[in-house]
Amino acid sequence: MNRLAWIKHVADYLGGAEDLPPDGLSLPASSSLWGLWWGALTIVIVLFCGQASKFIYIDF
Amino acid sequence: MIFTTFAYYGLLIPTAILFRIAAPHARPWICVVSGALFFIYFSVTEVGGWFGAACILIFLWEAIISRLYSPRSAWCLVGVAASLCVLGIFKYWNFATGLLSAPFGRNALAWRGAFLPLGVSFFTFEFIHYAVDRYYGRVERGTLGQYLAFIFFFPTLVAGPIKRFQYFGPSVEQPSTDWPADWNRGITRILVGLAKKFAVADLLTSVTDHLNRADIAAASRGALVVWILAYAWKIYFDFSAYSDIAIGSARLFGIRIPENFDWPYARTNITEFWRRWHRSLWRWLVDYVFVPLGGSRGSRQRAYANMLSVMLISGLWHGAGLNFIAWGAWHGTLLVVHRVWTDWRPVREDRTPTLAGQAASWGVTFAAVTLGWALFAMDLPTALFFYRRLILG
Repeated sequence: MNRLAWIKHVADYLGGAEDLPPDGLSLPASSSLWGLWWGALTIVIVLFCGQASKFIYIDF
Repeated sequence: MIFTTFAYYGLLIPTAILFRIAAPHARPWICVVSGALFFIYFSVTEVGGWFGAACILIFLWEAIISRLYSPRSAWCLVGVAASLCVLGIFKYWNFATGLLSAPFGRNALAWRGAFLPLGVSFFTFEFIHYAVDRYYGRVERGTLGQYLAFIFFFPTLVAGPIKRFQYFGPSVEQPSTDWPADWNRGITRILVGLAKKFAVADLLTSVTDHLNRADIAAASRGALVVWILAYAWKIYFDFSAYSDIAIGSARLFGIRIPENFDWPYARTNITEFWRRWHRSLWRWLVDYVFVPLGGSRGSRQRAYANMLSVMLISGLWHGAGLNFIAWGAWHGTLLVVHRVWTDWRPVREDRTPTLAGQAASWGVTFAAVTLGWALFAMDLPTALFFYRRLILG
């Protein structure tokens, strides 16, 4: 269970939902690794962005 | 689409920078001007046209009447009634008149050019929150600028998360000053939100497009299972992606707004699910519907009835249709069943649940929630047909 909680914390941190990394993960906010992470996300966005549909919860 | 357009980010980034370098007294007005521009531009281009844009007058009305609110003032009740009227007319007029005129076969009162003002389902709930909390003296009046910034704050204007003035009002003049951390978190959140929307939610849309009567009639039972699972994940990724973008956008201003999701599909009972799915709405419903109805005070039967009422209202809020009411009734029933179960067999703190027990609880919860999405995704006759095909083949 603790392992699952740690994985959740990592995912939340990488997703921007948590401010501080979990114990054992050293990735400060100023790290250039964030640039790589943003680059990877941007590639995913560019690859898939042609199929945009409206958000379900907007003006439903 | 709004949050996936260049126009949104063309407004967001300059506004967030301007907001952070401006003097504290100017910050609320930056939110007001940018929010008004946002509302007018996206009303004209996305919904309602110029009639939709004219609905900005609703905010003008709210700005005026909210200044009259004070503890125990009748003006607060007028404000609540006005918000409900706005919501009722724009969202439920054709649904209600259609139901009333059903015996006559034709709805003579139908509003042919009906449209929904941008964000009406959400901003009316924020108006009601402020009116009720002012009535009970739970919130300070705040300045006009603070309140206008609260209702015009464009990252949350169209679909929440539903904010509370107690927390937003002070932060708009005294936002976080930690630019590097805020922008790191904010940009990460926005990019993750966009990736979830494009790469997962929109990809699943190609599967869920087939949730119509003709395809359901022809599909195998396995395909029906795949469709409803795809819809369950699509709606999660779609709305949580939107929430990520809204929360990340606010963070660029140095403002924190409530979270909407916390891994709801990982929960092992329906009550925990609802505490972590669209959390800002859930808290609003608890504070402004469940508690005023009596909450868990009184008899058990009364508490069950209150829970059911809350979820019926939640269903109706999600859409003007019988299927949404049925979806609310389904979740209300699940919550009541869970409450009956826990009343009968209270959780024992001294006993750790087994892995198998937790897996079974998770499976039942996930299956119940997923089955319910059919009522959300389809009109009532189609959803009932879907269930018939799923169960009876």
